[in-house]
Amino acid sequence: MPDKGQLDWPETGPLAVLRLEGICKAFGPVHALEDVTFDVLPGRVHGLVGENGAGKSTLVQIVTGLAQPDSGRVLLAGQPVRFRTPIEARAAGVAAVYQDPKLFPHMSVAENIALGAYPTLPIGVINRKAMHTTAAELLRRLGSDIDPRALVAGLSYAEHQFVEIARALSADVRVLILDEPTSALTPAEAERLFGVVRTLRDRGTAIILISHRLEEITAVCDDITVLRDRRHVATMPAAEVDRASLVQMMVGRPLETLFTRRATPALGEETLRVETLSLAGVFADVSFSVRAGEIVGMGGLVGAGRSEIAQTLFGVTPPSSGRVFLRGREVHPRSPGQMLAQGLAYLPEDRDRDGLIMPETITHNITLPIVRTLARWSFVDSARERRLAEDASATYRVLTPSVEQIVSSLSGGNRQKVAFAKWLTNDPAALILDEPTHGIDIGSKAQVHEMIAQLAGEGLAVLLISSDLPELIAMSDRILVIAEGALVGEFSHAEATQEKVMMAAAQQGARARP
Amino acid sequence: MSASDEAAVADRKGSRPLIAFVLRLREAGVLVFLAALGTLFAVLTHTFLTTQNLTTVASSAAILAIAACAQAVVLLTRNLDVSVGSMMGFAAYLTADFAANHPAVAPWQLVLIPLAIGAALGAINGLLVAYGKVPALIATLGTMSLYRGLTYVYAHGREVTSSRLPPWMLTSVDARIAGVPLLVAAAIAIVLAVWVFLQYFPWGRRIYAVGSNPLAAFYFGLRAERVVLLAYVLCGVLCGAAGLLYAARVGTVTVVLASGWEMSSLAAAVIGGVSVSGGAGSVIGAALGAVVLATIDNGLVLLAVPEFWRMFIQGVAIVAAVAADAVIASGIRASLRTRGAR
Amino acid sequence: MKDDRTKRPVRAPWPAWEMTLAALVVAAGFWSTTLSPYYLSLDQIFGSTRFFIIPGLLALGLAMVVSLGEIDISLASTVAVGTVALSKLSMLGVPIGFAAAAAVAIGALLGTLNGVLVARFGLPSLAVTLGAMGAYRGLAFIIGSEVGYTGFDASYRWLGKTRLFDGIVPVSLLAFAVMAVAVWLLMHRTVFGRYCFSIGLNRDASWFAGVNVVKIKICAYALASALAGLAAVVWVGQYGSARGDNADGSILFVVTAVVLGGMDINGGRGTISGVVLALLLLGTIRNGMGLANIGGPTQTVVLGFLLVGGVLRPAFAAALARLRRPENADV
Repeated sequence: MPDKGQLDWPETGPLAVLRLEGICKAFGPVHALEDVTFDVLPGRVHGLVGENGAGKSTLVQIVTGLAQPDSGRVLLAGQPVRFRTPIEARAAGVAAVYQDPKLFPHMSVAENIALGAYPTLPIGVINRKAMHTTAAELLRRLGSDIDPRALVAGLSYAEHQFVEIARALSADVRVLILDEPTSALTPAEAERLFGVVRTLRDRGTAIILISHRLEEITAVCDDITVLRDRRHVATMPAAEVDRASLVQMMVGRPLETLFTRRATPALGEETLRVETLSLAGVFADVSFSVRAGEIVGMGGLVGAGRSEIAQTLFGVTPPSSGRVFLRGREVHPRSPGQMLAQGLAYLPEDRDRDGLIMPETITHNITLPIVRTLARWSFVDSARERRLAEDASATYRVLTPSVEQIVSSLSGGNRQKVAFAKWLTNDPAALILDEPTHGIDIGSKAQVHEMIAQLAGEGLAVLLISSDLPELIAMSDRILVIAEGALVGEFSHAEATQEKVMMAAAQQGARARP
Repeated sequence: MSASDEAAVADRKGSRPLIAFVLRLREAGVLVFLAALGTLFAVLTHTFLTTQNLTTVASSAAILAIAACAQAVVLLTRNLDVSVGSMMGFAAYLTADFAANHPAVAPWQLVLIPLAIGAALGAINGLLVAYGKVPALIATLGTMSLYRGLTYVYAHGREVTSSRLPPWMLTSVDARIAGVPLLVAAAIAIVLAVWVFLQYFPWGRRIYAVGSNPLAAFYFGLRAERVVLLAYVLCGVLCGAAGLLYAARVGTVTVVLASGWEMSSLAAAVIGGVSVSGGAGSVIGAALGAVVLATIDNGLVLLAVPEFWRMFIQGVAIVAAVAADAVIASGIRASLRTRGAR
Repeated sequence: MKDDRTKRPVRAPWPAWEMTLAALVVAAGFWSTTLSPYYLSLDQIFGSTRFFIIPGLLALGLAMVVSLGEIDISLASTVAVGTVALSKLSMLGVPIGFAAAAAVAIGALLGTLNGVLVARFGLPSLAVTLGAMGAYRGLAFIIGSEVGYTGFDASYRWLGKTRLFDGIVPVSLLAFAVMAVAVWLLMHRTVFGRYCFSIGLNRDASWFAGVNVVKIKICAYALASALAGLAAVVWVGQYGSARGDNADGSILFVVTAVVLGGMDINGGRGTISGVVLALLLLGTIRNGMGLANIGGPTQTVVLGFLLVGGVLRPAFAAALARLRRPENADV
């Protein structure tokens, strides 16, 4: 397979509309992209895939002018370009549509579309009539009947997405980037979107599609580029690759050798039981249980509602109905503080934002949940606190010269170990892990897996949420699959395969959400 | 994910059309409130509904309306300016002093002075907030005392009495155009001009956009710093205009002119439906808020209620308006959240 | 802002700024001696502490609120409510012990109200306390009417007026010192303080770690306003009068002290010792300017500059750091 990024195109090969050459980017000491080179051809849908943290979003930022590359060039139709803002990029024909809506809620649909380049009358007054007709025309091209005069605040999520695409099309777009466009669309909406994508492609627009849903990538894309660990792995025509080898390129290693399976666990009492748990509009009627010593995996697509279920159990957003039992006693999740006290711990998905206080020391992070118990007359016993932090960071193998180190100076893997130490000093009975290996290097990943297995061995009930299928399958004793806010499948360790889990997760029409 | 967001999560579905409706109706709500207030005072007192009294209300609302409009422009960008009163005082005193020392200067030239002073003072605020990244409250709290203190230093304990001002300045505010006091006409013209700018010109729309969703503005590629600076400059210019009109109205210009107006302007703007979380409301609403405050003032005088009740009502009104706005804003936040996913 | 906070490898060397402040206090003292031959007397120096005791108590309270990343600019108005309440109690002949307790309790009550609006209902603290600033000021006038009250019993004036040890050390200074130590202990040695700074650095992560964010915030607001109630007792003693406009405009001094003292206005960083040193510095400067016959307005201008300079200081420091290490200068 070609590894320099140029497509192996026959003699009549068209000129690449977008070419990335040796793009490097670092944010402070952290490398986000290293020497990425590939071509995007006009009139093709170009899939961009890679695990979380592979560098996809940084790439989009660089192409659209939100970030500047440290080195390397971006060429548009053969000309080197350097956009300072997305407005400049859009004017040159490069536009992006993001996963989360990036619209102005207080303004009308037409204004959201026109904002960068208002049609104006002589003295600079906005030509509202032209603005509305243009917007209506663009939306009609997308097969949408949204009223251009409506406020964005009143639109549905899918409508947001269409307004964003209409905005991208408002300039004469040559390269359109769609970042996870379907993550929250219904199948019908997604199909309509891809209809639009195909029409655009047939008119000669190059489309870069970023998606976690590999079946989407293989169904819609003409070419595929794989990024792994911030580097370019391969660019090839979609016809030459199947899903399995795509996954292997993304993960970067043969799947089997990665995880060592622990011995058949000795399961204890039922520790966590959930009965018909629902959160209005997000998930409904979820029931399952986890026994002591058991690792229950929870799989599903990004946005299926897994984190929400976990956070509801942890009291972040109290459930609208359903019952939760911990060690046989019913609990009513209202706040994380209360659930911690009941013996449930939750490692948040966004570790750097919700899991740790980045500008604080390791000690203060580890002891925050239990600092109250370290105090006499509410004065913190700092010697005891330090001893505890040192013990915990030794137990969880945090590599650091001192526990007075600021957490943000640690690597991702070490931060995750600090997070483990933080939640486990409380001796919980059940532990929910939300994407515990997201964005950390391979070596630390293995240590985290070992740690999880060990904790379960010590009798902890573990609920493991992971989008990393091989990890999920290797680690879990049972796997629950969530799709669109409903529990749609359950597999034992023996019967689970990536295909089965993926199939269940991609199942559509389950729609528990009202 | 705070406690206050929870309610929004629960009912995000059903409330969307309602939010769009409320957003459209901000000004109408203020008008209804104003009408109710007027009716109340008309019933309680005999003198409220006389032409003379209503003219008084309009005149006292006029200058506050301009100041509220100035405050609103900054609020729309999710910032705040507590130096409004100080900018008015600074511009008014320097202009009056200049006029007293140069009686021959033409009116149109004199009018430019406070506007230029206001623009400069507003630019300082804008630079601090937009480029210095100083929180708006702290920056303008500092410049509030700075501008007021400089006015004191410049004045050296003097004041500009009405006899030293050019006569046209004093007579023109009392002049009437078709029965409408010039002051009121000027205020209406200014507020309408700013409204047109914010509503129909690209830069005006950018002011709304930056306040409406700063993250979206970033991804869109708007240079928020420039937009915020523009808003502060515009605020300063409007304060200059308000200061000049105030000077002309009271005749004797002292260094304490318009002190405390930062509160009144803010109260008027938020009562008029301008959101402290940016992007929502209009300067016409802010001006209507000024009329509401002037009506309350007038009603309290007619009812012989001590003046300091006004301060209390104003403060409570700010908190109430902010609370009402927070309810709407949480609905908007919910509408921006991805379904299911984060 | 966030970036330069997170890049620091080990715990930030905050004492550096406190040493600078201490040096500045000494420098300001020297400057004062050149202004007036009367400066260097114990009587004068202790007497000058009256310039910062009342705003100092408010600054201690504000520092707690600022550590959370919130703000309270209604504290000066709370003082006015306290003084007029004391005047009413004095009229009724209530013993000072009860009256002082009542003033502190009234402060705590008003603070709780702010705290509930900010923490429980999630309203922006800036707008809420700006409104409260007006509302409480109005309330003070409503309680006390426009006429001031000066008939305080001698016992009411003890705390603010008396000087111990041959009439040199003011009791109010001792009270301030006790409060400063207490707040320092509270913020830097107790669980409460740990929670406050955690919330200021990252509210969501603190909540995920089980911290009751709402309760802590309400407590901080209540404590800050209780200190304002104590400041009202000192005020009555110092000035012997109570009126609705008491302490009007002093919030500038208070905010300046907190910002200059190194409290990060976005929350999570700073020390109480820094705030106390900043108070000493501002008090010395103000005293010096008084001795030099510099008028109130000029003093206000100086304060305004110090405030703006204080907030720009971290930005300057970051810019300097970037100049020194050009290889890290991205964008």
